[in-house]
Amino acid sequence: MDFDLLYHAFGTVMLNPANFFFVFVGITAGIIVGALPGLTATMGCALLIPFTFGLPPVQGLLMLLGIFCGGIYGGSISGILIRTPGTPSAAATLLDGYPLSQKGLAGKAIGMATVASFLGGTTGALIMTFLSPQIARIGLRFGPPEFFALAIFGLGMIITISGRSLLKGIISGLFGLLITTIGFDPLSGVPRFTFGSQNLLGGVTFIPALIGLFGYAQVFRNIEKILILPTVKSKVENILPKLKEIRASLKTIMKSALMGTFIGSIPGTGCDIAAFVAYGEAKRSSKHPEKFGTGILEGVAAPEAGNNAATGGAMIPMLTLGVPGDAVTAVLLGALTIHGLQPGPILFRDHLDVIYPIFAGMIMAQFILLTVGLAGARVFARMINVDRKILTPIIFFLCVVGSYAMRFSFFDVGLSLIIGVIAYFMEYYGYPCSPILLALILGPMAEQNLRRSLIISHGDPLIFFNRPISAAFIVVAIFVIVTSYYRIQKAMQREAQMGAEEEEGD
Amino acid sequence: MKRADIGVGIGLIILSAWVFWYANPYREKEIYIYGPNFFPQVLSILMGICGVILIIRAARGDVLPQTDRIDIRGFLRMVIAIGICIGYLFLMQVIGFTMGTSVFLFVLMTFLGQQGLMIRTMSSIAASVIVWAIFRYFLVIPLPTGMFEFTF
Repeated sequence: MDFDLLYHAFGTVMLNPANFFFVFVGITAGIIVGALPGLTATMGCALLIPFTFGLPPVQGLLMLLGIFCGGIYGGSISGILIRTPGTPSAAATLLDGYPLSQKGLAGKAIGMATVASFLGGTTGALIMTFLSPQIARIGLRFGPPEFFALAIFGLGMIITISGRSLLKGIISGLFGLLITTIGFDPLSGVPRFTFGSQNLLGGVTFIPALIGLFGYAQVFRNIEKILILPTVKSKVENILPKLKEIRASLKTIMKSALMGTFIGSIPGTGCDIAAFVAYGEAKRSSKHPEKFGTGILEGVAAPEAGNNAATGGAMIPMLTLGVPGDAVTAVLLGALTIHGLQPGPILFRDHLDVIYPIFAGMIMAQFILLTVGLAGARVFARMINVDRKILTPIIFFLCVVGSYAMRFSFFDVGLSLIIGVIAYFMEYYGYPCSPILLALILGPMAEQNLRRSLIISHGDPLIFFNRPISAAFIVVAIFVIVTSYYRIQKAMQREAQMGAEEEEGD
Repeated sequence: MKRADIGVGIGLIILSAWVFWYANPYREKEIYIYGPNFFPQVLSILMGICGVILIIRAARGDVLPQTDRIDIRGFLRMVIAIGICIGYLFLMQVIGFTMGTSVFLFVLMTFLGQQGLMIRTMSSIAASVIVWAIFRYFLVIPLPTGMFEFTF
C-alpha cells in the first residue's frame, strides 16, 4: 500500500469537480434505479456503460461505482416503503423496514438504512483499499467443497429468518431449490423441467421471481384489504436517527460490515447473501431475537451495513484477480476491459493511476450517498402518504414493468404473477417467502459445487469435512440450525404460557 | 390450519414422487453418476420427508394458530384485479405502453374505489408518462409501441 499514491488519488478525485460530478450522477442514478422494483444496479451499470465510452477511464469508472453503491442502497427505499425490494440485496431490509413504515416510521427507517449503508460502505471501501491483496488470497483457496459448504451455511441462515416454524421454513427453502432446477443443467446443459417451453430453458429468472414473491404478493394483500387497512401517515420529521439509536446499533453495524466485506470478497457470492447473513447473525446474537421482523431499527441496520460493505468486498477479487465478486462487478469488469484495462495483478503493477482513484472514489461515494440519501429521505418517505387506492395500482404497474424489463418478455410477467399468487397463499398458511428467495440465490451454487465435489472425491462425502474451511462452514451451519430450533421452541412455549396465563386472568 | 397442513403435506408427497419420477430419465443423459437427475431427486426425497413430518405433526395437533384469514370479498377483488392486469398486457400490445398503462391505472383505481375523476386521470397519465420517459431517455429500454405508429 503506497500512502503517497493514495493521498494524491484522493486529491485528484475530490478536488476535480468533474470527478465529483460523475460520482454524484452515478449515486443519484443508482438510487433511482435501485429504488424501482425490477431495475437493478446490474441493469443500471450495464445500460450506462455505453455512456462512458467518451469519458476518460477514471471518470467512467467512478460513475459506474456510484451506480453500484447507490443501487445497492436504493433497493432499501422501496423495500421499506412498499415491501418490494428494489434490488435482491434489500430483501432482508424489508423484514423490519416495512413493519417500521407501517408504524409510520418510514423516514426513520430510511434514515437508519442510509447511515448504516454509509458506515458499511465506508468500512468495505477502507478494507478494500488496505487489505485487498490479503483478502483475495483467502478466496483463492476456495474450491467446490468450500462453495457448497458456504451455500449450506447461507441456507442454514434461512432457519433464523423463517419466522415461527422451522419445518415450514425448510419446506419453503426446498421449494425454492426445486425451482432453481428448472432450465439448463449447469454442468451438462441438459434441459430440465421445461415441458417443451423455450421460455423456461433459461430457468426461472431471478428478478421476476423476486417481484412475484415480494411485489405482487404484497399488492394482492393490499387489494384484498384495501377497504379495511388504516391510512398511515409517515412521520417524516424523524429522518435522522437519534445518536443513541445509532450507538445502540453500532456494534451490529460494524459486525455486519466486516461480515459483508468478507462475504462480498468471495467470488460468486454478492451483496444479497451478505445482507441475509448479516441479518441472520444480528437476530441470532441479539438479546431479543423475537423482536426482529416486528419493526426494529437494528433489523434495518444489519442488512444495509452488510450489503453496502459487500460492494467494497466484491471489488477485491475483481480488481486483484480478474474474478468478479458478484453480477455488478462482472459488469464493471467488462467496463474496465472496454477501456483497455485488464483487471488482475497486472492492473496493480501497471495502472496504479487507475487503481488508487478507484479506491478514493469508492470512499468518496459513501459520503455523497449519505448526503443524497438523507436529503432525499423526506421526499421518498412522503410516498407512503399517498392514498393507497392510487399507490397500489401504481405499484402493481411497476411490478409489471419490472418483471417485463429484464428480458422484454411477457412470459416473465405471467410467471411473476403466478409466483405472486402462490406467495400470497403461502404467507396466510405460515410459509415464509424469504427462504425461497435465498434458495433461488444459493441453489445453483449449491448444486454445481455439490456435484463437482462428489465427482472429484469419487462419491466420498467426507470431502466436505476433510477440508478445514468447508468443515467450518458446515459445523457453523449445523450449530445455527440447532440453536435456532431450540430458540423457536422456547419462544413458542413462552407464548403458550402467556396465553394460558391470560385465559386464567379472564 | 390443521386441515391446511395435512393438505400441503399430501401435496408435497405427491409433488416429490412426481419430481423423482420425472427426473429419472435425465440420468441417462450424462456420463457422470451425479448427473442432471441427482439434485432434483435429492430435493424430492427431502420434500417427501418434510411432507410426512407435516402430516404427522398436524394429526397430533401440533399446528401454528392461524393469525389471519383470507377475506372472501377481498379475494374476489384481487382476482378481478389480476384479470384487469391480464387485459392490460394484451391491450398494451395493441395501443402501446403509455396509453395502455394510463387506461389500466385509471380502470384499476376506479375499481378500487378512488374518488375524484381529475386525480385518477392525472395520476394515471403522470405515472405512465414518467416511467415511459425514464425507460426511453434514461435507460434506453424499448417498451411495446402497439400497432399504431403514433403510439408509444
